[in-house]
Amino acid sequence: MIEQIRNQARLLLENGDVDVVIGYAEGSDPTRTTPVFIRKAEDVDKLIYDPRCINSLPLYLNKRHEYTRKGWKKTAIIGKGCDIRAIVQLIAENQLKRDEIYILGVPCEGVVSHPEKWDGSLHDGNRASKCTDCDVMTPHETDFFPGDKPDIDRSNPYEATSKNVATLMELELDKRFAFWRTDFDRCFKCYACREVCPHCSCNVCITDETTPSWIDPAAHKKGIFSWHLTRAMHLVGRCTGCGECTRACPMGIQVDLFNQRMKEVVQESYSYKPGYSLEDKHPLITYKVDDREDFIK
Amino acid sequence: MKTATLNKSDIGKCIDLLVQADLRVIAPRLQPQLDEDGPDSIDVLTFTEVKSGDDHQVGEGLLPLNGVKEFLFAKHEPLFAYEKRGKKIEIIPVHHEYPQTVIIGVRPCDAASIASLESVFSDANAGFEDPFFTERRSRTTFITYSCTAPDSSCFCTSVNLSPDSAKGSDLHLTEIGDGRLHVEVITKAGEAVAKQLQDLLEGEGDRGAREKAGAEVTEKLTRIRDSAPIMDWLMDTANFDDEMWQRLGEKCIGCGACTFVCPTCHCFDIVDENKGSKGYRVKFWDSCQFDHFTLHASGHNPRDWQYKRYRNRFNCKFKIYPEKFETPGCVGCGRCIRACPVNLDITEYMAEVAHKAANPNAMKADPDFE
Repeated sequence: MIEQIRNQARLLLENGDVDVVIGYAEGSDPTRTTPVFIRKAEDVDKLIYDPRCINSLPLYLNKRHEYTRKGWKKTAIIGKGCDIRAIVQLIAENQLKRDEIYILGVPCEGVVSHPEKWDGSLHDGNRASKCTDCDVMTPHETDFFPGDKPDIDRSNPYEATSKNVATLMELELDKRFAFWRTDFDRCFKCYACREVCPHCSCNVCITDETTPSWIDPAAHKKGIFSWHLTRAMHLVGRCTGCGECTRACPMGIQVDLFNQRMKEVVQESYSYKPGYSLEDKHPLITYKVDDREDFIK
Repeated sequence: MKTATLNKSDIGKCIDLLVQADLRVIAPRLQPQLDEDGPDSIDVLTFTEVKSGDDHQVGEGLLPLNGVKEFLFAKHEPLFAYEKRGKKIEIIPVHHEYPQTVIIGVRPCDAASIASLESVFSDANAGFEDPFFTERRSRTTFITYSCTAPDSSCFCTSVNLSPDSAKGSDLHLTEIGDGRLHVEVITKAGEAVAKQLQDLLEGEGDRGAREKAGAEVTEKLTRIRDSAPIMDWLMDTANFDDEMWQRLGEKCIGCGACTFVCPTCHCFDIVDENKGSKGYRVKFWDSCQFDHFTLHASGHNPRDWQYKRYRNRFNCKFKIYPEKFETPGCVGCGRCIRACPVNLDITEYMAEVAHKAANPNAMKADPDFE
């Protein structure tokens, strides 16, 4: 499979169809892989794909990385299904044009949840829970795919959420709050959750605004809670569930539980899941005259 | 130097004794998880206050995710309060608690980092003292614990430390087999703690066994780099624009994970948290990896590209720090390697610099990056 991807990447670079191929390469440690930008055809053999390829590469397509992208007119990117959902969502939000991007889709069997859980194979004990109910293991939107793409029904708007969401929602409100108080106590606001997110595309993040300062930048309870809750709200209906925010958190805080819960709400209210259609606008930035509106009490 | 032995199984009792002596005890502790065995769960080991000896992971696991930094240099603290009355602004002092603290189970890399923080916050030569830091430092005692199982990200031997080093320690523990620990009293503060634990300490230590254990663990380190040529290479200003910086650093996404988990990173910001006509002036952790860290009011940003921010971090560790102070800028704990979401690895820079220093005539610039 990876040979076909490499050959296609080589062709694209040789013909000058793209300036760069964003993919995965071996990391500095056997359990890790790393994002890589391939600019020369002779370097395509560095490209790999296996269940250790966790990163959501579309974050580099985000406008935040304008400096990195300087001089790239057309970019090829290796994408597993969930990453391609992020690309589709960026296009639907006018952050990216479809013809600027060449998508090299890869068939995916799931990825490991954290590099430190990699023991040489993928199994129930280390497969990220986001992969359990995935309907894009054969990706939907591609320019190149090794082999035939089977027809897959992706019409079900309901995606499973992690067991932890249900566990939390079963707790009484004060216990749920106590859980977050304890976990957020570890947060020091490094913003890894923001920086790995393919959808955080503001030029200036609201937490970096100073006039006025909407969110206290210090990592005290108020500053931490207002940051994480604002972040969760800004991703409602847009989060494609890559889980990178939790994976990237250096303090092991499961910040994506908020996003997963909001995903459930959007599914229940609007029968919508983001990242499947290039045209669809997500429910919170559009309206329909025949909206059910049954949540307005 | 006074030595003794201690049963490893008595560490819980040590903690109990220290807690009973009205000391705040900080120890590595596994944090509860929603789904302990779930596929997404990882061990979350952090330095946390413990109230009893039943609840700690001293000597287990490798390194807590946080260092001991936050117990000396707080994540956030108010410097003072203020209130505007008419045309006058009144400055109101804020009361800070500085409890007498013992941190137990500190690994040698973290212990070595304390001196590095001291260089910045309480260096007599620099003529400046951060009172918050020095107050906490003077009331904190470190009981360190030699490493037994370094992982593939550890590289302390590459920065002149070792997994059994007692640098920065007050009381140092090393496993010497049969569930026994060799105890070394290093400082007066360590002696005071040893006195509190005297019922649990026995006879003389076994220096031979301790040296042997240390050497065995040192052998286990796999990530070995030559840091000797780095400073000179960085001092050569021509290398400031070397092609390496962009090639290795362009994948950096600009989060502050590496700096916040780093035991020697110490940058902070100060803002006024205002509410109506009063508020607090607050000091809190900042990171040189953030894009607005060097953003000028004019809109100009001298570090306009992410790889330049990482270049600053590397220079800070291996040039600016050693140039200004005698303490290490990097202690080789490997936290930045483990924490990096995109596997940006400081030891790859170290290896690259060593290579470039040894091959000065190698290509200086890659046309692809111009």
